[in-house]
Amino acid sequence: MQAKERVRAKRLYIMGRYGTGLLFMLPWIIGFATFVLIPVSWSLFMAFNKVQVAAGGLKYEWIGMRNFRDAFLKDNVFPIELITYFQEMLLMVPIIVIFALLIALMLNQKFPGRFIYRALFFLPVIFATGQVLSELFLQGAGDIPFLDQYNLQPMVEEYVGKQFSETVMAVLGRAVLILWYSGVQILIFIAGFQTISPTIYEAVRIDGASPWDSFWKITLPACIPFISLNMLYTIIDLFTFPLNPVLKHIRDNMFKVDTGYGYASALAWVYFAFIFALIAIVLWLFNRSLNKRRVRS
Amino acid sequence: MNARLEKISRIAKAGLWGRRTQKAKMLILGRSLSDGLLFKLAIYLLLSIVAYLYLQPILYMVSTMFKTLSDLLDPTVKWIPREITWENVSKAINGLQYPQALRNTAIIALSCSIAQVLVCAMTGYALARLALPFKGLFMALIILTFLIPPQIIIIPLYVIFSKLGLLNTIFVFLIPAIFGQGLKGALFILIFMQFFKSQPPSLEEAAKLDGASTSRLFFGIMLPLARSACLVVFLFSFIWYWNMYYEPSMFLAKGFTPLSIRLNMLEEVLNPTLLGNTRTIINPVTESTKMAAAFLIIAPPILIFMFLQRWFVSGIERTGIVE
Repeated sequence: MQAKERVRAKRLYIMGRYGTGLLFMLPWIIGFATFVLIPVSWSLFMAFNKVQVAAGGLKYEWIGMRNFRDAFLKDNVFPIELITYFQEMLLMVPIIVIFALLIALMLNQKFPGRFIYRALFFLPVIFATGQVLSELFLQGAGDIPFLDQYNLQPMVEEYVGKQFSETVMAVLGRAVLILWYSGVQILIFIAGFQTISPTIYEAVRIDGASPWDSFWKITLPACIPFISLNMLYTIIDLFTFPLNPVLKHIRDNMFKVDTGYGYASALAWVYFAFIFALIAIVLWLFNRSLNKRRVRS
Repeated sequence: MNARLEKISRIAKAGLWGRRTQKAKMLILGRSLSDGLLFKLAIYLLLSIVAYLYLQPILYMVSTMFKTLSDLLDPTVKWIPREITWENVSKAINGLQYPQALRNTAIIALSCSIAQVLVCAMTGYALARLALPFKGLFMALIILTFLIPPQIIIIPLYVIFSKLGLLNTIFVFLIPAIFGQGLKGALFILIFMQFFKSQPPSLEEAAKLDGASTSRLFFGIMLPLARSACLVVFLFSFIWYWNMYYEPSMFLAKGFTPLSIRLNMLEEVLNPTLLGNTRTIINPVTESTKMAAAFLIIAPPILIFMFLQRWFVSGIERTGIVE
């Protein structure tokens, strides 16, 4: 009797303490369970099955790891596309982040009309939709005009080797469209610059530091958290880059009779694992550099 | 006497001259490089060049849109067409079924964004201020939902929606948005959380002392207080719903078709004889029409942006998401 009452009292206490909080979270919790948790576990289950569309719905046949083995051993497109896309991504992420940093630095200066420029550089976020983007790319509108004039291909080949040069040229060929993915990053950098107090710059200037010095010694170190934030955002954004060959391959396999949903799920999970590893590496590197700074100071 | 006077005036003149040059130097080079005229000119020049490169595809789109076929095939006509034709635009309007598709897209974007603002604000407020068990776990799960690529969950979602009979209706997007799983919902929750965390707690304490309940406190005080964050989230959500194309290509292929899917189907509509893999072929006959269609799709968001650009651009700073 007493134990029961104690349980009730405890439940009452929990409800009183956490009730409103849980009530506010309720929509999200329901949504998470139905639209994330169930689909994710389901797709994980499908990755280990051969899934066929039968008359009464989906038919599963447990085949263990075979889908994953097939992805690397049998499929002669997927591993190559995965590696190529990761090479491209390793190029694209630094390009986007550095470009965003440079533009943000310039937009952060005080000059009349900077609001117009800020708006201009944000504009692509509004219209860089997948369909419009691939349409423009098909027309070849995204390349830098001087690329053809100077015939860069042999030069690039000389510096980075023949194998990697194709990737470099592919990235350069749609440079403008890639740079379009830097709108949000520019804003994050500009907002980040506001957190550095102007008195520091004043102090260093009185001590005789040139703007060049103050950039390397103050602005850049203070920006490391924003650089890491931007790198993460860029990686996640490029997940669903519309010109991504891996995603196209996954989609193609979804509707093939001999491979089907199971195989497509396995491919998607492999892709996710690779991206997740990339994110983990970026986070680890930045955490380490932040810790080092903290120890030094 | 005279010689001395001359000497003095010479010295004075030299001093004046020196100060003048110094002033001019200050004006051109500035005290700390970053506020001189020369520097500003350099920035204008650099930014203008980059902005030109940046916007070139859009200029290309607009110029192609008004070109006739002969202008398009003529290599001497680069930017300005010899005669402006509206034929492409009208063809695109027909091919896209513009009025209907525009209505569909607008309904989806509007209703889902409003739902997202409300639910994400509630969730963000709970995470920022209310007592919750396992708060760390919730945070980790929210970030996880941001990381999971849509490709992983799209097939199960498709099956779930088809079992519920919701395919090809607006509810495939509205229901997840109501339950906090809309497009990039995790990001919006984090924005709201940061915003509510940055508010001073004294306001809530005062309201609580006066006997306001938590829900009244939230809807009566905190939500109106978060106007700027709400507007930012609404605008971003609207734009992203407007532009999304992967999910609708799975869920809305046969009904309630938004603009992005219509653009995908345009080639087949314009060119019924070309079946199968048309995506990789550049067809000069339909190129102008497709550019016109693409422009018609991005025109409404650009109009909204023109009126509200101040909110977009300063929004991220104002909500303090980066801190």
